[in-house]
Amino acid sequence: MGTAISWRAPARVVRYLTGRMGMPAAVAVTDAKKIYGSGDAAVAALSGVSAEFEKGKFTAIMGPSGSGKSTLLHCLAGLDTLTSGDVRLGDVSLGSLSDKDLTIVRRQKIGFIFQAFNLIPTLDAHENIVLPLSIAGEKPDQEWYDTVVSTVGLSDRLTHRPSELSGGQQQRVAAARALVSRPEIVFADEPSGNLDSTSGAELLEFMRRAVDEFGQTIVMVTHDAFAASHADRVIFLDDGQIVAEIQNPTADSILDKMKQLGD
Amino acid sequence: MLKVAWSSIRTNKVRLLLTSFAIVIGVAFVAGSFVFTDTISARFDRLFEDIATGVDVVVVPDEPEFGNDFGEVAVSMPESVFDDVAAVDGVRVAAPSVGGIAQLIGSDGEAIGGFGPPTLGFSWTDESDLTPLTIAPENGRPPETADEIVLDVATAEAQGFAIGDSIGILTTGPVTEYELVGLANFGDEDNLAGATLAIFEFSEAQRIFDLEGQISEIAVGAEPGVTSEELADRIQKVVPEGVNSITSSQSTAEQTAEIKEGLGFLTTALLVFAMVAVFVGSFVIYNTFRIIVAQRTRELALLRAIGATGGQVTRMVVLEALIVAIISSAIGVIGGIVLAMLLSAAMSAAGFGLPEGPLTVLPRTVIVGMIVGIVVTVVASVFPAVRAARIPPVAAMRADLARTTRKSLTRRTIAGVVVTGIGALGIFIGLFTDTSEALSILGLGALLVFLGISTLAPIIASPVASFLGWPIKKAYRIAGDLAVQNTQRQPRRTASTASALMIGVALVVFVAVLASSLKGSINETVAESFPSDITASSSNFAIGVSPDFTEELRTEDAIGGVTTLNSGAVRVGENLDTASAIEPDTYEGVLNIPGADPDEIAALGATDGLLVFDDPDDENDGLPLGLEVTLEFPSGSTTTAEVVGTFEDDLAFGAFIMTRDRWFENVDPVADMLVMANAADGSSLDDAVAAAERAAEQFPNVDVQTQSDLIAEFESGINLLLGMFTVLLALAIIIAILGITNTLALSIIERTREIGLLRAVGMSRRQLRRMIRWESVIIAVFGAILGMGTGLVLGWAVVQALDEEGLSTFSVPVGQLVTLVILAALAGIVAAIYPAYEGSRLNILEAISYE
Repeated sequence: MGTAISWRAPARVVRYLTGRMGMPAAVAVTDAKKIYGSGDAAVAALSGVSAEFEKGKFTAIMGPSGSGKSTLLHCLAGLDTLTSGDVRLGDVSLGSLSDKDLTIVRRQKIGFIFQAFNLIPTLDAHENIVLPLSIAGEKPDQEWYDTVVSTVGLSDRLTHRPSELSGGQQQRVAAARALVSRPEIVFADEPSGNLDSTSGAELLEFMRRAVDEFGQTIVMVTHDAFAASHADRVIFLDDGQIVAEIQNPTADSILDKMKQLGD
Repeated sequence: MLKVAWSSIRTNKVRLLLTSFAIVIGVAFVAGSFVFTDTISARFDRLFEDIATGVDVVVVPDEPEFGNDFGEVAVSMPESVFDDVAAVDGVRVAAPSVGGIAQLIGSDGEAIGGFGPPTLGFSWTDESDLTPLTIAPENGRPPETADEIVLDVATAEAQGFAIGDSIGILTTGPVTEYELVGLANFGDEDNLAGATLAIFEFSEAQRIFDLEGQISEIAVGAEPGVTSEELADRIQKVVPEGVNSITSSQSTAEQTAEIKEGLGFLTTALLVFAMVAVFVGSFVIYNTFRIIVAQRTRELALLRAIGATGGQVTRMVVLEALIVAIISSAIGVIGGIVLAMLLSAAMSAAGFGLPEGPLTVLPRTVIVGMIVGIVVTVVASVFPAVRAARIPPVAAMRADLARTTRKSLTRRTIAGVVVTGIGALGIFIGLFTDTSEALSILGLGALLVFLGISTLAPIIASPVASFLGWPIKKAYRIAGDLAVQNTQRQPRRTASTASALMIGVALVVFVAVLASSLKGSINETVAESFPSDITASSSNFAIGVSPDFTEELRTEDAIGGVTTLNSGAVRVGENLDTASAIEPDTYEGVLNIPGADPDEIAALGATDGLLVFDDPDDENDGLPLGLEVTLEFPSGSTTTAEVVGTFEDDLAFGAFIMTRDRWFENVDPVADMLVMANAADGSSLDDAVAAAERAAEQFPNVDVQTQSDLIAEFESGINLLLGMFTVLLALAIIIAILGITNTLALSIIERTREIGLLRAVGMSRRQLRRMIRWESVIIAVFGAILGMGTGLVLGWAVVQALDEEGLSTFSVPVGQLVTLVILAALAGIVAAIYPAYEGSRLNILEAISYE
């Protein structure tokens, strides 16, 4: 397979570049601006956001609809590009990467949990979990895989297709997939948004444990105070700007802050 | 509802464009066949009318009732008929003419033409009212003496002949040299449909065509006040039996009808290909609408939720199909006109010059073209439309649209087997029974078989995909794995996409098997019946090989045995058959007559009797020895001979074998069809060929061939036909490939979120393209394999059916089949280019937020 070399070569470069990471900030964003449209029709989704997301911490981004929280997450994750400003994942500035290199960064350094449609319907749970590794042509670390699978409690569901899993189980498969490649950082976009409260709580509990037990870095967008209360830190966004921040939040402190910001 | 249908068309432009391409092609072929035929008829109509200006009545002898396909039989009447006709009351002017086959000798010494447009010779007449031939003042003058000749302007130009040149003319006798004194136009044309015209002085024409005291035709102009019909009736009363007096408009109509009949094969072939294209296109249309309906489930459910009835939803989808159908059928009709223009240009380029004139587009052409396009599209969209009506309103609220409607496989299997069975029965009836509708039944049977197999295809789609996908999975792991899984998630979609390709491939394979079997059979026959080293034949069927050449060949030292073979149509009672003639004294070692006893062949010579075909596989056929059989020849002469023996090869010899002497007594002109010779003992093949060519020097129309030349010639003829069919069928394959593109493009829209997810978790564009590409290849190869199986079975059945007709070998062109599978895989790659590009270009963000 001669073709394999061509896409692995830039991967090695990235690995080299990112290999020297030792700083506490997993991802940092500086003066991020994102403007849609131009002229009079221009709408700023982000108007100068700067923030650092520490390694081994669980950060929640909150804000009302249209506050720019999803845009910020997408830009942090290399799914979208900024109009100006910079996102640094470790030592690498995402803005300078080609689509090809961005793809490799996503594959190796980033995990995703979306709100819905997280799984490939034709693949079973196991195949979905190891998908990023399969795409990279790598074998999963068996011990780590077993740990992740047993933590999310899916050991007896591995041969099921997504259509045979409940919504909560599907999201847990997605979470396992996000963790199995040991990414630098996991981005979650309303991961519990489509789940009933019990399943939602289970998933958030699991994400918390991933941070506590495995030292995983997680950045999560949510509008749900209960979900955000699982985080170490909550950032509040409004009109494309950071308007507040709480460390070690509780559901109540978050609700208070939201009420305060709403006034 | 019209508004909704229209807006849906606007938003689905690309997919509907691909769909409409299938309709456009089909309709273009239908319309093109009509325009082409109508145009040719109209042009010839006008040409013949031009020619007949001034002529009111034509007096001609009866045409032979059979066996005159190549104008082998020159019909004539006694010269005295002319005097009788000229004396009839009401005849203002009358002119006799003599005509026949006359081949020009080109400057290279070889005879011009032969196969292809006719090579005609006529007598000149000074009655300018009664002849289409005119000589412009700057183009010389008519032939006045026996050694002068006039040619048509186009032929002289094409061959570079100028007035004053000496030109050799070949009829059945030896070559005669003439001086070119003038160039004639034919009506307003330089030429008559590509034919070469040689015009002689009247009595010289009688001499060269061996018609002394005879004439071929009388043209008559009426006195003022006498109608053509009246005059024709009066003349009919004075002419002998076997001579007809007809009005010139009747004659024009007959000639046009003849030309139409000659072009009938082409028209039928074009219409068959049009039908194939339309049929394949209907699969593509069906698929597109099914997928579009599936993708719009939510929208349609919303319409249902806000109060639309199921019927309204169905009508809306059909309406959408109707709008697409009307637009693309109209484009198809225009395409057909362009196609007809290209075809007539191609025919002109191939030397079949058509008369000038505009294209004829009859209202019928437009109506039929539109109806075909509209009916096929609407019918193909009805099933998806009915499915659309079954979408429950609640589907609008459902988040998860992955509806797994698993219908019973048993029902599908039964339906598929029944339809295939009925189709197979139709093919069987078409092949093995003698009904006038045999061909239509055969075609309908084939259509049902295709439908039946496409019904069964989803059942095997999944396992076949696994099998085909195994090496792909090994090579490309996750991308290959996903490709295979994608072909398996909707087996019906995969199967109906592949089915469109199946049809084209099946027909190509069928034709290839038939051609290959035909080649095998011909090789066998040639090797068995024609063991001679050398064969000589005429480049012009109507002229044949002069017996003088045969005698000349016998005098060559390097040549051993020489014998002749003639064959042609005969009639026994009401039945048309083929008979041949051999030389019992010289055949041995040169010509092989399978199943004929040498004693019986000797008896054939001694008693001037007859051998009859006796099928070795059939106990009850054949005629008893001693029976007197009366054979009628196309020229009208009959002969009676006694059966003295039997033979077993009807492919080479037909139903009867007689002596060459008896043959020559009954045919006109007296010439051999094939002359076969062996090299003399001690002479090499090269020496023998050189000797034969030396003997042929004075006979410019005689071609000398070795046995391998002969086989190669047969094969190249078959290959040419095979090539033509394949090119036309390639169209059906192209439509099917567009169908694959369409299905993939639509599937990708359907899987937008999935693709976004794959990209988000790190799949590169390249891997994504690879995934789509291999999905396409699996579908294409699946279709090719289905088609190959169907085509092989069809080919086998037809070869079995034609066993009686001499198709004794069933041969599978393995190399071609392997090439076909490889081509199908490549076609799959090509089909995936656009969808793969589209897929890899999808914006990840939009994809994951895609509704």
